[in-house]
Amino acid sequence: MKARYGSSPLHLLSHLAALALAAWALLQALQLGGWERVAIWLIGAVVLHDALLWPAYTTLDRLALRRKPAGWANYVRVPVGVSALLLLAFFPVICGKGEATYSRVSGESWEGYAGRWLMVSAVLFLAAGALYLVRSRSGSSN
Amino acid sequence: MNAPPGPFRPEFWKSPLRGPWLTAVFGSLLLGLMTVVALTGFLSHAAYQPDLGRNALVGTDLPFTTFFDWPTGPSWLYALTQGLHVNVGLVALPVLLAKLWSVIPRLFQWPPVRTPAEGIERLSIALLVASTGFLFATGLLNMQYWYVFRFDFVQAHYYAAVVFVAALAVHLVVKVPVALRAYRSRGVLAPLRDGLAETRQESDGDTVALRPDAPTVSRRGLIAAVGAGSFALLVANAGQSVGGPLRSVAFLAPRRSGGFPVNKTAEGARITQAMVGADYRLALSGGAEEVELSLEELLGLRQATHTLTLGCVEGWSTRQTWTGVPLTELARVAGVPDAGELLVESLQPAGVLRQATLAGNQVADSRSLLALRVGDAELTLDHGYPARIIVPGLPGVHNTKWVGSLTFRA
Repeated sequence: MKARYGSSPLHLLSHLAALALAAWALLQALQLGGWERVAIWLIGAVVLHDALLWPAYTTLDRLALRRKPAGWANYVRVPVGVSALLLLAFFPVICGKGEATYSRVSGESWEGYAGRWLMVSAVLFLAAGALYLVRSRSGSSN
Repeated sequence: MNAPPGPFRPEFWKSPLRGPWLTAVFGSLLLGLMTVVALTGFLSHAAYQPDLGRNALVGTDLPFTTFFDWPTGPSWLYALTQGLHVNVGLVALPVLLAKLWSVIPRLFQWPPVRTPAEGIERLSIALLVASTGFLFATGLLNMQYWYVFRFDFVQAHYYAAVVFVAALAVHLVVKVPVALRAYRSRGVLAPLRDGLAETRQESDGDTVALRPDAPTVSRRGLIAAVGAGSFALLVANAGQSVGGPLRSVAFLAPRRSGGFPVNKTAEGARITQAMVGADYRLALSGGAEEVELSLEELLGLRQATHTLTLGCVEGWSTRQTWTGVPLTELARVAGVPDAGELLVESLQPAGVLRQATLAGNQVADSRSLLALRVGDAELTLDHGYPARIIVPGLPGVHNTKWVGSLTFRA
């Protein structure tokens, strides 16, 4: 039995317990108004990462390093990565997507988010450039 | 059957960094962070006291969050738990991406399922990844007011969290032994001593590359880069949770302007000048007979002043000095001095949050006020003029504005 299943009975029972609880929660969620959208967003979250985000950044990285791993790659990777991360997490404020709702509820408006994101990105690139300059001058192997 | 080309072939994978130790490190960090996020999330559910009146925004059939009274102290309690929920969630985002990167070859393993055990395990991992992505996406969108998902955020986020907890628990049952094995064989911190020149592949594990490239970054370098991403997200947002001068440092926080943000304007709540003019009366009921009080009469009652923090579910907070009539005083005037429950209703004509029910311990706290003034001035219309509730530790939206009636129950 163990050989056929591929693991221990504890493995099977703990998975059945977790799946039962998850199924209960999913059934509750699927009773909500707009349950099709809940389902689409659950699947969409996986698709967004596995079929879009990961292939995009990994392909970019491979293309950039195709010839020979450059010693200075990380001076570009880190600021670009941090800047992209800020955009990923704060896309709605940076692109003003929620502004209509925000103004309606708060009576205020969003100003300068895209500008601040760009300025912070510029500072990150400059800081990485300065660090590279200092380290390459001081003869470090990086 | 031969594996399809591309990522289904082992030689596709080139990074020499992937392996059980690296996954264990990201997994351990993520476990710590997500434990805080999940606990504070369920605490927020408890703070809304769904077992009282019509407070429940989601079903109350899971018992574990309603078995205690939400405390009234310290007054920044909810600002803290919800600030942690949002900001630790942001810090966890880069760690989540790194963790997924470290195990992504497993997504393409060939054949996809070898045994029933592997099938059921992969199903639980699909639920884990889907619910985690769902929680991060909806949480980030909700705190930025982009309701593009067009379903009830509170309910969907709550049930997705239950799926997440179930899937995570069983993931831990399977993977904690794997992580411990990796720590035992390589040391918990020892691989962090390796610079780029000393960085070698891990000796075995199903994510270790068959034909790796030379490393371009050390493991500690990768972990530090992930940390830099977490730090940037924290700095971008945390100021709106802490308040004060830090608010303007939070360069991407949705609530960075002004020291005293408005959650909902009077116009948005459809409050008119006529509703709060000279004819305004506060109705107190629950006692032998209903009592009606004008604003002048309210100002004539015993007043108290307290500095209390108001925390919003979206993770921002504000600390203000409030002056008004203690709820205990109003309970006495209503003729229900030892009220066990209080239904607060707003003049606001519609909306789920036009009413809220408070528990006995909240009414009894001497710092719980029907506030008439904030700072040195009377309330502005957007902040709830003529009268609003302020209860220490209570979620922001339950501090009802434009209060029209208070119903005390024994």
